[in-house]
Amino acid sequence: MADRRQLRPVVVGIGLTALVVLAALSVPQAAARPAHEIPVEPATGDFSGPTADGWSDVPQSTVPLSSAPSSVPNANDTTIERVHVQAARGEEQLYLRLQWHDATRDTTTDGPRTFADSVAVQFPVNESARPPIAMGGPTNRVNVWYWSGGTGSEELLAGGAGSTTRMANSTITTNATYQGSGENATWTVQYTRDLDVAGENRTTIPEDEDIDVAFAVWNGSNDERAGQKAVSEWHYFPFSGGPQGPPYAALLWTIAGVAIVSVIAVTAYGIRRTGEGMS
Amino acid sequence: MSTDQNGTDAQEDTHINVADGIDHQVAMVMDLNKCIGCQTCTIACKTLWTEDGGSEYMYWNNVETKPGEGYPRGWEESGGGWQSEEHKERKTGEIPDQEDYGRAWEFNHSEIMYEGSDEPLRPRDGAEWGPNWDEDRGAGEYPNSYYFYLPRICNHCTHPSCVEACPRSALYKREEDGIVLVDQDRCRGYRYCVEGCPYKKVYYNTVSKKSEKCIFCYPRLEGEGPDGETYAPACAEECPPQLRLVGFADDEEGPIYKLIEEYEVALPLHPEFHTQPNVYYIPPYAPPQHTDDGETVDVDRIPRDYLRKLFGDRVDEALDTIERERQIVRQGGESELMEILQDKNPADQYRLEVFEDG
Repeated sequence: MADRRQLRPVVVGIGLTALVVLAALSVPQAAARPAHEIPVEPATGDFSGPTADGWSDVPQSTVPLSSAPSSVPNANDTTIERVHVQAARGEEQLYLRLQWHDATRDTTTDGPRTFADSVAVQFPVNESARPPIAMGGPTNRVNVWYWSGGTGSEELLAGGAGSTTRMANSTITTNATYQGSGENATWTVQYTRDLDVAGENRTTIPEDEDIDVAFAVWNGSNDERAGQKAVSEWHYFPFSGGPQGPPYAALLWTIAGVAIVSVIAVTAYGIRRTGEGMS
Repeated sequence: MSTDQNGTDAQEDTHINVADGIDHQVAMVMDLNKCIGCQTCTIACKTLWTEDGGSEYMYWNNVETKPGEGYPRGWEESGGGWQSEEHKERKTGEIPDQEDYGRAWEFNHSEIMYEGSDEPLRPRDGAEWGPNWDEDRGAGEYPNSYYFYLPRICNHCTHPSCVEACPRSALYKREEDGIVLVDQDRCRGYRYCVEGCPYKKVYYNTVSKKSEKCIFCYPRLEGEGPDGETYAPACAEECPPQLRLVGFADDEEGPIYKLIEEYEVALPLHPEFHTQPNVYYIPPYAPPQHTDDGETVDVDRIPRDYLRKLFGDRVDEALDTIERERQIVRQGGESELMEILQDKNPADQYRLEVFEDG
């Protein structure tokens, strides 16, 4: 009995240690994508449109949306709660695909009270600095890729709320489809842009560093326009470290794992010593 | 308080409240007792400014019959403007529906003129409401039914709620004369200005996707016509009974200032919207009611309550002043007020160059 009692803490300690090590090793894989990361796949297939085959191999990130802080009337009255984002990078082009549920297809602005469904992708103009989320700031501008069901695509520049300006000679192309019906009806919008574009106020898609990105969706049938919109927080495309996340994440997880194992080992040793003392 | 170019306070001796940062304020006074509802002003404006695509339904100037629902239908209950004279909080407003403006009707011109049809000339389909639908309907019972005409343009308000409503600052009140304009390069068609204007005098162009409105014919004021001369807005110049005076509210020598400030007979429409309109009206003065036998009775033909609703409580005093001055003239006396209201000298009606060159 005494031998078994002495062995028990050791067995428990070893078991716990094994569990923690396993957990520590498995956690980085399960959470390979940090909360605000949107993975970017190499674009090797067909990305000719929003339903092209290439998109089936690209992981999808679900980005939560909430009403943008704004002074316009009914700013809190927005209806789109999430947008699904996919990104693929080819040798010369970046492809983005955004999908969201919207039970009404609003594609005209041809009446005094009609507004069109719209979506926008926001990047910092200076990719090394994170601008204020609400359309950037006067010294920290944002480059916005905007698509509207009523007027098509525009490339915009903004330096704060209310400063949005249309850029001449847009460098983005968009292609959209609306499929399904009722609550499951879905907008799918593909953005395509050359990685390398001229123009000082256009975001350069970096090769070796992460870039911030944010999203906005408007539901036209709910009169959503301007600041009455559903928006995300800043997310990022991990161009620095590939789809497994920034390099420091693995290091942090390793340190945490070692620390936990050490604590358990010391605890097990303490229990064993206590058991010996009692016997 | 504004300051003129000589550095003196332009409002020093006046009660005219010119908006901050504005040198002078254009203004118009319309004498409703002269309006015959002919719509010449409407057509003059329409053909001059809103013939392009997307503006078919727009009437920057319209003439509506009161009492009546007006144009757009029910505009007086559509919200907008300010909560109070402090101009801190706006009232929520609505964008009128296309049906409330009315649609541009298709007529059977081609059938009648080219195909030999003997049908009467009439709209094809969808003629269920329009800008002048309730013309001459009015209110009241025979023999005391009543109506009057109300010409309306943008009021180029001292505190324009449309300007405040725009999240992009696409609307602005220009410095030299207070005319409210839409910067077409900045406008992105959000239509908050349409909601925000309680008079519903900003419109959305369905083709250009931008807002448009009365510009007080500023190119005419600036002499940019072919002959380089200055003209009053087309709605004023083309008016057959010449019911409009045009000038600057802060021109103390002009008739507008006298009518607004000295005699206080020119009143803003719906002052409770708190935008301080710069288009003023001489309220309609009607003979009293009479019996079926034609006997005159001491009852207002146009109910005072209704006029107060349109022009505020000051309408009583204004009508009393007009009656008093009329009586003076009837008795052989002289009245500056009556002379101003009957003046047919264009140089007095349109004082547009008084502040030129500071």
